[in-house]
Amino acid sequence: MVATGAATLCMALGLTACGGDSDSGDGKTIKLVAADYGDKASNASKVYWNQVKKEFEKANKGYKVDVQVINWNEIDKSVKNMIQAGNEPDLLQTGGYADKVADDLLYKADEVMSAKTRENLIPTFAKAGEVDGTQYGIPWVSSSRVMFYNKDVLKKAGVKTPPKTWDELAAAAKKIKAKKAAETPYALPLGPEETQGETMMWELGNGGGYTDAGGKYTLDSARNVETFEWLKSELVKPGLTYANPASTDRKTAFADFAAGKVGMLNGHPSLIQMAKEGKVDYGVAPIPGKEGPLKSTLGVADWMMAFKDGGAEKEGVKKFLDFTYSKKMLAFDEMYNLMPVTQDALQTMQTNGRHKDLEPFFEVLPSAKFYPLGDTTWDVVSAEIKKTGGKAVVDDPKQVLGDLQKKAETAAAEAK
Amino acid sequence: MSLKAPPSPAGSGRGRSGRAPRPVSRRGGIARLGPLPWIAPVILLILAVVVWPVIELIRTSFLNISIAGKVRGSAGTDKFKKLFEESDFGAVLLWTVVWTLVVVSVTMLLSLALAQLFNQKFPGRRVTRWALIAPWAASVLMTAIGFKWMLNQTAGVLNTLMLDLGLIDSSKDWLGRPETAWPWMMAVAVFVSLPFTTYTLLAGLQTIPQEVYEASRIDGAGSWQTYRHITLPMLRSAFLVGVVINLINVFNSFPIIWAMTQGGPGYDTSTSMVFMYKLKETDIGESAAMSVVNFLLVVVLVLIFLKVSRWNEED
Repeated sequence: MVATGAATLCMALGLTACGGDSDSGDGKTIKLVAADYGDKASNASKVYWNQVKKEFEKANKGYKVDVQVINWNEIDKSVKNMIQAGNEPDLLQTGGYADKVADDLLYKADEVMSAKTRENLIPTFAKAGEVDGTQYGIPWVSSSRVMFYNKDVLKKAGVKTPPKTWDELAAAAKKIKAKKAAETPYALPLGPEETQGETMMWELGNGGGYTDAGGKYTLDSARNVETFEWLKSELVKPGLTYANPASTDRKTAFADFAAGKVGMLNGHPSLIQMAKEGKVDYGVAPIPGKEGPLKSTLGVADWMMAFKDGGAEKEGVKKFLDFTYSKKMLAFDEMYNLMPVTQDALQTMQTNGRHKDLEPFFEVLPSAKFYPLGDTTWDVVSAEIKKTGGKAVVDDPKQVLGDLQKKAETAAAEAK
Repeated sequence: MSLKAPPSPAGSGRGRSGRAPRPVSRRGGIARLGPLPWIAPVILLILAVVVWPVIELIRTSFLNISIAGKVRGSAGTDKFKKLFEESDFGAVLLWTVVWTLVVVSVTMLLSLALAQLFNQKFPGRRVTRWALIAPWAASVLMTAIGFKWMLNQTAGVLNTLMLDLGLIDSSKDWLGRPETAWPWMMAVAVFVSLPFTTYTLLAGLQTIPQEVYEASRIDGAGSWQTYRHITLPMLRSAFLVGVVINLINVFNSFPIIWAMTQGGPGYDTSTSMVFMYKLKETDIGESAAMSVVNFLLVVVLVLIFLKVSRWNEED
C-alpha cells in the first residue's frame, strides 16, 4: 500500500530523489527523536507526537514518521550514542543545538523550512538559533523566569510589597526568618540540576552575565564575582536560604514552594500548576536586581534541529516541519503550560482568555535574554557550571568562577 | 581427521598412567590441542568482555571526541594532561584512598567480630545468620537511596530519631556538605560490605580444626592468646580473600556515592570512579583517561597488597 502510494507520488511530482534504493532506506521515513515533557502516561509527549504523525501521514501519502520519545535525563546520552554509531535521527527536539553545528551535522534552518514558516517564528527566538549569523536551531517551546512568592508567608512576616532590589529581598527574608513564617525564606537552588539558570538570573541583576558584547566568556567578571559574594554573605551565611545551596536542586525548591515551605524563589510557568495543586496562594513579580527589578529576564528555549545524515530526503523533512510548525503547536504549549515560539500561537494564547496566569511571563518574554546558545562550546560550559558553579557560594567566588572561566576558555580554544 | 572419534578422557588417563604411552603424533587432532577446546569458550568470553573493553578504553583515552559524540581525531596525550591539570584531581585521589582504606579496614574489623559471634552456638543463630544476608541481598542502589531519604533534612526518619534522642538540636542536611556526607556514605559502604566479608571469615573459622583449640587449652593458653596465635594465623587465607575483594569492590564503588550525593557539591564527595563519570558529561576522552588511571590504580593496589601480605609464601 505504502509502496504504491509512494510510487504514485513520485510519478505525480516527478521527483528525482525517489530512487528508493539508497543505502539509508527509501528516504520516505522521517525519524524523529523528541524529549518527553510529561510526568505521567496521560500527558506523555508521545501522545502529542503520535497525533501529529497520524495527521501528517494522512495528509502526505507515502511518508512515514518514526517517533521516538525519550525522557530528559536520557535523551542527550541516547543521541550521543546515535551520533557515534552513525545512526542520526532526521529530526531531534531537545535542549540545545550548537554543539551539533560544530560537528557540521545539521541543516541550516532555511534548507528545511519554508520562508513562510520561518517568518512566523518570534524573531528573538529565531535569532537565538543562530550560529555566526546562520540559523540552525529552530525554537520549539520557550519559557521566561519571574519571581514567585507565597502571599501568606509574606503577610505573616509583615512584608507589604514583594522585594524589588537585593537589599529589599534580604530584608524580607530576614523578616520571614524572624517570624518563622517559612522554613526557607528564599530558595536558592544551585545544585547540578539547573545551576546555570539561577546563576544567570542573579548575574543579570548586577549587569553581569556569561559573555561580553563580543561573545567572549566572562564567567569571572568583577560583577559576577560581586554577585556571588553578595549571595554568600547576605543570603547563605545568615541562613536565609538552604544550608547547602550547592547541593540543592531546583526540583527540591519547587516542591518545597508547592508545600508552602518557601517564601520566595525564581521560577518558570510549570510552577504555577504545582503551586495550585499544593493550594499555595502565590504571587509573581519581576526578579529583583541589585538596584531594581530586571529589565530583561532569563528566557529559555528548547530546540528542534534537522540532521543532514538522517536518511530521509530533505523535502520530506521540510514538509514535516512546515506541517508541524503551524496552529498544531498550540496543543503542545497548552498541554504543558509552556510558551509558544510562533507569533500566531502567541497571539492566540494571549487573546483566547485561557491563559491569564501566564500573562506576567508573556510580558517579559520579548525582552528576555538567553544563554549564549549559539556558541558551539556553550553545552560544555553549561555542563561545567552545573557541576561546580554552586560552590561559588561556599568557597571563594573568585576562585570558583575563575576555574570555570579557565575551562570555558580551554573549550573555546579547542573549538577553533 | 574429523571422522576419528575424539579420545575419551579415560583414554588419555590411561596414557598418563604410563601403561601404554602412545607416540604423540598418533593422537587425534583435538587431543593435541590439550585442554584448549574445553576452555576456549571461556577464553573467548574473557577476550570479549574483559580484554576488548580495556583496549577500547585505552584507545578512547587518546581520542578527541566532541560533546555531540563525533570523533574528531587523535588527541595524543592531551586528555591525560587535561586530567592531571584539573584543580580537583589531587583532592579526588586523596579521598579515594581515604574512602577505600577506611571502608575496608572498618569492614574487616567488624566482620572479624561478627564472624566470631556467629561461630558460637547460641539460640537463634540460624535466624541471625539469615538476617545478616539482608543488606547483601538488597540492591546496593536501593540501600543507598533508602539511607538518602532516611537522612533527608525535613522528612528523614534518622533526623527525627536523633532529634528525639537529643543527639542533635536541629535537623541537619547531612548529605549537603562533605564533612558529614563522607562519614555517612562510609557507614553505608561498610553496612553493605559486612555480609560478604563476615561469611568469608565465618567459612574460614569453620575450617580450623577443634583439636588445635583443645591442644592450646591443655597448654594453658588464655582466650586472647588463642585468638592471636591460633585463630588469626589460621584465618589468614580467608582474611586475605576478604581484603582483596573488598579493596577492589570499595575502590570501584559507584552506586552508594552516586545515589547519595552525586559526588557533590562540586567534586567534594567524589572518588575517582564518580569523578570519571562526571567528566563524561563534558569530555569523553578525559573521562576515558581517568578510567585508564583507575584501572592502573586497581592493578597496582592489588599487586602492592599481595606483595606486602606475601600471598605466595602462605604455606
